Amino acid sequence: MGAYLVRRLLIAIPVFWGITVLSFLMMNLAPGNPVDMLINPNIPPEMRELRKELLGLNDPIYVQYIKWLGELLKGELGYSFSTYAPVTQLIAERIGPTLLLASSSLAVGLLIAIPLGIVSAVKQNSKLDYLMTGLSFLGTSIPPFFLGLGLIYIVGIELKWLPTGGMTTLGGDGGIGDVAIHLILPVLVLGITIAGKKVRYVRASMLDVLKQDYLRTARAKGLTEWSVTNRHALRNALIPIIAVIGAEIPLLLGGSIIIEQVFQWPGLGQLTMEAILSRDYPTLMGINLVAACVVLLTNLIIDVLYATADPRIEFN
Amino acid sequence: MLKRKSIVILFVLVALLLSACSKATKTDVTTPVKQAANEKTDVPASETPAPPDAARKVLTIGIVNAPVTLNQINTQGSSASLAPINLLNDALLDVTDEAEFIPKLAESIETQDKQTYRIKLKEIAKWNDGTPFTTADVAFTLKLALHPKVDTSFQLNFIEGLNDSGKLDEGVADISGLTIIDATTFEIKTKTPIDPLVFNERFGVKVNFLPQHILKDVNPEQVATHDYFQKPTVTIGPYKFANYVQGQYVEVTKNENYYLDVPKIDSIFIKVLPAANLVAQLQTGEIQMNSLPVGLVPITDYDKVTGFDNVNVTSAPASEPAELFFNIEKLSDKKVRQAIAHALNRPQIVEKLLKGQAEIIDGGIPSKHPYFNATIKNYDYDPEKSKQLLKEANWDTNQKLTFLIPVGNKVREQAADILVQNLEAVGLKIDVQKFDFPTLIDKVEKGEHHITIFTRDYYIEPSLYFTTYKGDKPDSVIRYNNPLVDELIQKGEQEIDEAKRHDIYNQLQEVLHEDVPTLAVYSEKRLQVVSKDVLVGKPLNLGTFNNVNQWDIVAK
Repeated sequence: MGAYLVRRLLIAIPVFWGITVLSFLMMNLAPGNPVDMLINPNIPPEMRELRKELLGLNDPIYVQYIKWLGELLKGELGYSFSTYAPVTQLIAERIGPTLLLASSSLAVGLLIAIPLGIVSAVKQNSKLDYLMTGLSFLGTSIPPFFLGLGLIYIVGIELKWLPTGGMTTLGGDGGIGDVAIHLILPVLVLGITIAGKKVRYVRASMLDVLKQDYLRTARAKGLTEWSVTNRHALRNALIPIIAVIGAEIPLLLGGSIIIEQVFQWPGLGQLTMEAILSRDYPTLMGINLVAACVVLLTNLIIDVLYATADPRIEFN
Repeated sequence: MLKRKSIVILFVLVALLLSACSKATKTDVTTPVKQAANEKTDVPASETPAPPDAARKVLTIGIVNAPVTLNQINTQGSSASLAPINLLNDALLDVTDEAEFIPKLAESIETQDKQTYRIKLKEIAKWNDGTPFTTADVAFTLKLALHPKVDTSFQLNFIEGLNDSGKLDEGVADISGLTIIDATTFEIKTKTPIDPLVFNERFGVKVNFLPQHILKDVNPEQVATHDYFQKPTVTIGPYKFANYVQGQYVEVTKNENYYLDVPKIDSIFIKVLPAANLVAQLQTGEIQMNSLPVGLVPITDYDKVTGFDNVNVTSAPASEPAELFFNIEKLSDKKVRQAIAHALNRPQIVEKLLKGQAEIIDGGIPSKHPYFNATIKNYDYDPEKSKQLLKEANWDTNQKLTFLIPVGNKVREQAADILVQNLEAVGLKIDVQKFDFPTLIDKVEKGEHHITIFTRDYYIEPSLYFTTYKGDKPDSVIRYNNPLVDELIQKGEQEIDEAKRHDIYNQLQEVLHEDVPTLAVYSEKRLQVVSKDVLVGKPLNLGTFNNVNQWDIVAK
């Protein structure tokens, strides 16, 4: 397994490098640049030129890329074009809230999806099953931003139960309780979206397992139905779910862009939007880098977990 | 058995992963929050140990674009950044919403010949750490900001000794136009005589200062990334820096050392939120006022906000208009542009879309501006005349006009949609393309547009409205070239007699009105939505914070 890990990590290096080249190219091909967007006839062209020179935008793209790569090898990601703060600091500030939001949503999503999926599979084709499947379709098909705005309106404005956005109360103590209150609505929205998708996976996977011979054996041994379903069937049914969850994690980082906008959550998603709109190249590259790391790492972890869980899969 | 073991291992691994995740995130999140909390208590604790249970006066102002920088010498043209920068920094002068100047750091600004300006600083002026503010700080700031390697938003190319881009030449350390007379008096000499209006706006209002005692050792090439500009704790203004979470909020607390009356409100938050949430949070009381021009309550929500019982709603005077810009290279016949002007049903936009909270003007100068030419008669809505003008111009009705519309300002987008319908009604074919601003500008610079729409800044100094029309800009938005206009622009810039300037700019506005290189669509009377808890203070088109130390709010 050690050799397998080393090999996977070595393969990741060229993939990683490829991602940086592609994203650097695509970013520079996008129309507009951070200086010309400040179109103001009263700023003399010389000043704009000076700014481009100071930001290094007049160098050919490959020179800009090599400079960036040089910084990266030193462990630096450069400075933001708009705030002049170090990109590493910007990302460090934002990644915590995003991870908090993503992991809580994933946990909530699974806590909803797994029981619903099991019930739905065990009571296949019953009214309950139709209800669950219907709800899961609803959860998948409601656009998260719409659900978010709806909840803000009902819970935040009409009922005034929860704050409408942000991560802490301005001027408040910013303690864990305060963060938790602000977390409820965005987590609910993301959790429902995740659960909507996952219920069907759990249900399908459960149905597959429930038809297996060993469960009949288990029942024949006189085990209770509860024990058969939750101890014998569920464990095997969850194995394919791991892969699906793995694929969800990078999506969660990206998918929360909209939710972070709607709820003013100070995470990477919000930073990404700001960086795109202001064509803040160094920040964008930094975020791409983090995203690439997350995807490569989660894929690796999922493969390892998968092989550990299912002895039929071998490392080679 | 094997299977069972591996499943157990799997669960342990998943559990570990999850717990590692949640632990990691917990520490990640609480540390910055804790730090922030520490900073907050540290700052006041070190100076004024306020009783902890005293009711604090806190004001939260909503803004829809994030301030990108707190750098007072390089605002990067970001209007959103001006809100915190103006709270943290006083300039020599401030402005009222009537575009009149009021002294702040300056005791007086005097000139006999409109070329040598003598500035006397207030002797009581001091930085928020108690250090006196002197002409040494002025000289330090100017030399640093105007250094060729320093990025600055100062536009001071009228000062003697600076080059055309308003910088010192490489290797020159001193500004020949700056003379320090004593600790509170200095003189600025301009290249040629200029209207005091230009001096007051560009030097008096827009130059903010840096503390020499904090930054004296800074390397000019690394100014932009210096820590000071991330946390500018020492500034000279009614409020001082407390906290800045990019994209979220800026918190400032009152400067107990302020050289004028100490502010009444303890803390002000500038809170960033999407436009859609602005109205909602005014309703819930999470924010107590909107801000102008970057925290606009959409006028389309006028009826809604006037229905809230916790806020007062007023309208500011008509502001800088949304304007159409025509690409003259592609729409070279002025009859076509006049036809477009007659085709637009602007009264309908004002009445229906903007609920009457706007006025119609044709030029770019707002009607309250001292240099607004009130004798100009607007192009009225007359589709028949429009069709006739198009016929006279032999317009090929199969030609498609590309209309580029920037996204972001919902009201402007909706107005543009109506304009498109108006243009199609007179037989023009329109290809509407909507883009984010940087993309739009890229397309405009390549000349891919026939028409585009956006809103310019407000300028006190009238010449700044006309730079757009200069003929020496082949890749400008309008690509306009009219020798008469160029001549009038130049005359206007050089004239220092106020009455003569008025004549020149009135004539210039008439010529431009006839030629229609640009056409204003509507001039919004922006809504000022302020919580009833706020006793003094409201957002203004101009100079919102000029008396912020007098603002007051009910303590909570």
